[in-house]
Amino acid sequence: MRVSNVRMNMDDHAAIQAVLAGDKEAYAVLVVGHSARLFRVAFRITGNEADAEDVVQEALLRGYRKLESFASRSDFGTWIYRIAVHCALDKIGCSKGTESVPITETTDQQQDGLQIADQAAGPERLLLSGEIGAMQEIAMHGLTPTERTAFVLRHLEGCTTEEIATAMGIPPNTAKQSVFRAVQKLRRRLATLKVKT
Amino acid sequence: MIHLSEEELIAQVYGEGDHAARQAHLDQCAECSRAYAALRSDMAEMNFLEPPERDAFYGEKVWASLSGSLPAYESRKGNWLRIGLWRGLSYAAACVLLGACTFIGGRLWERQQVRHTAETNPQQKQHEAVPARTRVVVVVLGDHLDRSERLLVELKHADAESTGIASPLREEAQSLLAANRICRQNAMHEDDAALATALDRLDHLLQELTNQPGGLNAATLARLQNEISADGLLLEVRVLRSRLPSQRTAASGQTKGGTI
Repeated sequence: MRVSNVRMNMDDHAAIQAVLAGDKEAYAVLVVGHSARLFRVAFRITGNEADAEDVVQEALLRGYRKLESFASRSDFGTWIYRIAVHCALDKIGCSKGTESVPITETTDQQQDGLQIADQAAGPERLLLSGEIGAMQEIAMHGLTPTERTAFVLRHLEGCTTEEIATAMGIPPNTAKQSVFRAVQKLRRRLATLKVKT
Repeated sequence: MIHLSEEELIAQVYGEGDHAARQAHLDQCAECSRAYAALRSDMAEMNFLEPPERDAFYGEKVWASLSGSLPAYESRKGNWLRIGLWRGLSYAAACVLLGACTFIGGRLWERQQVRHTAETNPQQKQHEAVPARTRVVVVVLGDHLDRSERLLVELKHADAESTGIASPLREEAQSLLAANRICRQNAMHEDDAALATALDRLDHLLQELTNQPGGLNAATLARLQNEISADGLLLEVRVLRSRLPSQRTAASGQTKGGTI
């Protein structure tokens, strides 16, 4: 399905007005224009391609349903980005819930996770095979959903503390502390993993 | 010298807070400078989770999967029309309700006002106390006596040679005759002897005036004028009429020049 060139020339505001006037197809302009960015942030927060795809669809669906309340108060891209962050946060929150308790390897007083001996040596095996990305992913698993999301938005997406607070719906100071804690935890975990290699 | 905490160093990497003051400290403190360098190095390695590239048609694929589940918004124009219709109907209903309330309120106020006036105005109260039938009789009697008085005056001053007035006098007499009988019967019923006697004599005069076989000639006119003068009928009618001033005032406005 190709979106027509005429539609692609519409700006976000015109597309929103057309959608609200009953032209459902005009929403394609917004979907095509913002999906890639939403996927990037969703993937960084969820760390999973399939979950990121779900987040993108869920965010765009929520955005469509709430389009009347948007009313052009701000930029549509910022608004839908915020919705995607919420969806991703919900997603990893649910994932955390299904995993019961996070399994950690280091002794971290701030973490509530269960400390066990990793006999399967997943990290070790991965590290030995030189899969750095997997090592980083393990390090990210030690973060809470809020810390992970705040860190991704700050470190990878380049958002300010205020933008993070707005996107996540938390006070700025909480956002700032979440970023600090995430960096501290990641440093320690990465240091530990490096020593093991 | 107080060294920078890890949080402060992280804030320095992100350029938050008092960046200049911390940089000044880092320039002077070798220990903090080393820690800062190590932190920057570690954080530089945290550029992981690079998302996989999406192809150029990713957005269209997302739209293809979404479009089927999106209900179309109703046109705002339709919404405005519907809202306008409801608003119009609401205004109309409010106007009808207001009109009905005003009407009912006015009726209630009027009744209350009449009752209040009747309670506070004794004259009105007295008037209310008089039976309706009596008021009608008084009005009719007053009117009848007025007309009779005018007829008697015209008859008394009529010129025997001016035969032009004869016909109107007879017609008026004929008209008064019926009313006179009713008034006389009522006076007898009410045991008003003076009134009944006067009306009886008036009846006799009216009959003579009406039933002249050859019309109203000079001889007949002279005879009737003599009867009026001799009997003092005109004076008596005036006296009787003067007995009814208050009733007349009370009834004025209800009947004006009515004829039975």
